[in-house]
Amino acid sequence: MFNYILRRGLMALLVALTVSFGTFALFHFATDPAQTIAGEDAPQEMVDDIREQYGFDRPVSVQYGDWLGSALQGDFGQSYFWKQPVVELIKEHAKVTIVLALSALGVTILIALPLGISAALKPNSWVDRFALSTAVSAQAIPNFWLGLMLIILFSVTFPIFPVSGDATWKHYVLPALVLGASSVPAVMRLTRTGLLDVLSSDYIRTARAKGFVGYRLILQQAMRNALLPIVSVLAVQLGHKLGGSVVTESVFSMNGLGRLAVESIFNSDIPTVQSLILIFVLTFVLLTLAADLINAWLDPRIRMG
Amino acid sequence: MRTRTPVPFKNRLISLVVAGLLPVCANAGKDDNTLVVAFEKPLTTVDRLYSIQREGLILSRLTDDGLFYVNPDSLEFEPLAAESYEWVDETTLDVTVRDDVRFHDGSKLTADDVVYTFEWVLDDESDTSRGPVIQSWLESVEKTGPRTVRFNLHLPYPMALRDMAISIPVRKEGTYEGADGMDNAAEDRPLNGIGPYRIKEFSAGREIVIERFEGYYHTSPKANPAIETMVFRVIPDQGTQQAELLSGGIDMMMGVPPDVADNISHLPGVERKEGNDIRIGYITLDAAGYSDPDSPFTNLKVRQAINHAINREEITRYLVRGSAEVVPYACHPRQFGCNADGPVYPYNPEKAKQLLKEAGFPNGFSFKLWAYREKIIAEAVVSDLKAIGLDVDLRFVKLNVFAKVRNDKDMEAFFASYGSGGTADASASTGVHFAAGSARNYTDDEELAETVLAAERTIDPLERKRLYREALNRIAEQAYWVPMFSYSQNYLLSPGLEFPVPKDGVPRFWQASWSDQ
Repeated sequence: MFNYILRRGLMALLVALTVSFGTFALFHFATDPAQTIAGEDAPQEMVDDIREQYGFDRPVSVQYGDWLGSALQGDFGQSYFWKQPVVELIKEHAKVTIVLALSALGVTILIALPLGISAALKPNSWVDRFALSTAVSAQAIPNFWLGLMLIILFSVTFPIFPVSGDATWKHYVLPALVLGASSVPAVMRLTRTGLLDVLSSDYIRTARAKGFVGYRLILQQAMRNALLPIVSVLAVQLGHKLGGSVVTESVFSMNGLGRLAVESIFNSDIPTVQSLILIFVLTFVLLTLAADLINAWLDPRIRMG
Repeated sequence: MRTRTPVPFKNRLISLVVAGLLPVCANAGKDDNTLVVAFEKPLTTVDRLYSIQREGLILSRLTDDGLFYVNPDSLEFEPLAAESYEWVDETTLDVTVRDDVRFHDGSKLTADDVVYTFEWVLDDESDTSRGPVIQSWLESVEKTGPRTVRFNLHLPYPMALRDMAISIPVRKEGTYEGADGMDNAAEDRPLNGIGPYRIKEFSAGREIVIERFEGYYHTSPKANPAIETMVFRVIPDQGTQQAELLSGGIDMMMGVPPDVADNISHLPGVERKEGNDIRIGYITLDAAGYSDPDSPFTNLKVRQAINHAINREEITRYLVRGSAEVVPYACHPRQFGCNADGPVYPYNPEKAKQLLKEAGFPNGFSFKLWAYREKIIAEAVVSDLKAIGLDVDLRFVKLNVFAKVRNDKDMEAFFASYGSGGTADASASTGVHFAAGSARNYTDDEELAETVLAAERTIDPLERKRLYREALNRIAEQAYWVPMFSYSQNYLLSPGLEFPVPKDGVPRFWQASWSDQ
């Protein structure tokens, strides 16, 4: 197990470094960070001064080497745009994204699992069809559209929730619904298929013969095995939500990592973009690893190798 | 060509759906004399010395005063914290400071504070955003009396008052003590300005709350603002801004696209105001052949053909709309010095084809047109150019990519805009684009660059006008640019909000008030 974790960790680092260098090089070849920092209407003297001040006139390899050297010592540098240490900036924005991602995951679980279970228990019934239609709709609706519809309905027409911001729990309700809805189809379908498979297996027949019925049969016997693939998907979905809430955060004006990433890209804020990419890559890899470990814990067959 | 300015689908959507589901709207802050305004972009610092953002300029006009200010009616630079000024000679400016000005901490403004502020900006270590510009003309500053300060310039520089008005707010002596380099802007210190409002709360990327400063000097032209508290909320998405306006979460949206303004403004609970902007749109042609020495744009007749081929009147009327107008020369008509009488190029595709033929391109040629904003306008230009037989490949990219390629002098032609920092003077547009060494200058015309430089170093207004006329006529004769149009600004407001529309596109919120109705 230790070797497995080590291998996955090294892989994560390699992926992160490759992506990081690619991004760094692209930024320098495709954009002019000095002009972006100075602003479009800035006079030439200001642009030249910034180029010199930030060291953009040095070779890209030297600049990347400097950044990497500092990053390895835990110093992710100073944001060009926000003029703050990147670590502080990320800490400040991460709270919003983590709360939003976990709330969205909660929404996904609360909607997708009951729907999936209901559909599996009564296949081809109206319940099943309703569940599948819901899944297809949720997949087809773009996040920004659903977000704006919810805003119009629950913030403008019936002012129950605030339109935008992230100051109170009320600000998280609509964004969590939007972000959570996008994962419902995958989790619902997986729950339905997994549970249908498990319900037709021999051990469930034995359990029924032993007198397990109703929720005891489903929750204690069937779900334990049906959960295995769902856990993996939920872990990946959490990764998506942590790194992919850009649209939702923008529509609801939430100050999370997604919005920070967009603003940093548009402002050529290279240290912030670099650090965010590193975080997003590592989050994905670590969550996938965590899913594998949870699977091993849930399934003795995996644990025993 | 009756096309309308494109608006992102989601913005159209919210406008249309809301029309059917409209609730009773409320003002965000009328009851408690508060004004809530949406900012599209985040402000990273409230210290104008470290901010070049437009939002920073808007805010600093509330929280900070400089020695001078831009008169909102005449757009001229007039004394503000200065009581009077006098040009001793072309490179010496004496300024007398008012004796009734107080900082937000209650202390009195002195000549020492003014000297400290400008010495700080001149200090290389201070890293202020406008430092390099100020250093290019200001040599030193000295206290000459209890209320008098002398500015010694390297060279005659007529825009000294402009720079003092829009870039340099006065700071209390010792403000930046102990701070270091780029950290200055990030230092966790309360802003101690002398403006009619003071910062109450600042949350970078979220909102800024300011409150009326009761100790503000009553002799100021900005004295006695009506609104007690103002909140600037950062809401990047325009669709969300609309929803906030309709639900009473904000009182004002700025920079609203014309179509959105059309859709929203007829709803109850929303008022529309329209005003001018100093910003102009233009197309630069690579006359110097930087991108390719054999570029067709090195040929004068080709550049003239491009000028004749674009239907600027229709683009302005149907795409830019509002108070936008066709701009005949390389400056905004409201700018000082924008008084050329050189050739203009009316829309005439047949003449354009004839000129191409005379230039040796009867079958046209291929080139890339770069752009980063108003895609529909760039597409309209492409359409007009295709009509005279040119094969145009539109490269629509993000601003940071655009700036890189432009600064590398690798564009054959580009469509861009310039706001002149809200300055009503040709030096802020013509000067920036045609000066020697400017990344925007695609002419390699040394004589023109010298004329522009001479205009920037001439104090006498009449002589400056003459020099700008000469420069602008030269640009028009050589068809270096296709000057396109001026921009128009749309504002959406809560009912009852009185807000004089600015002439230069930069709102002065100290003039806002709630009506009694």
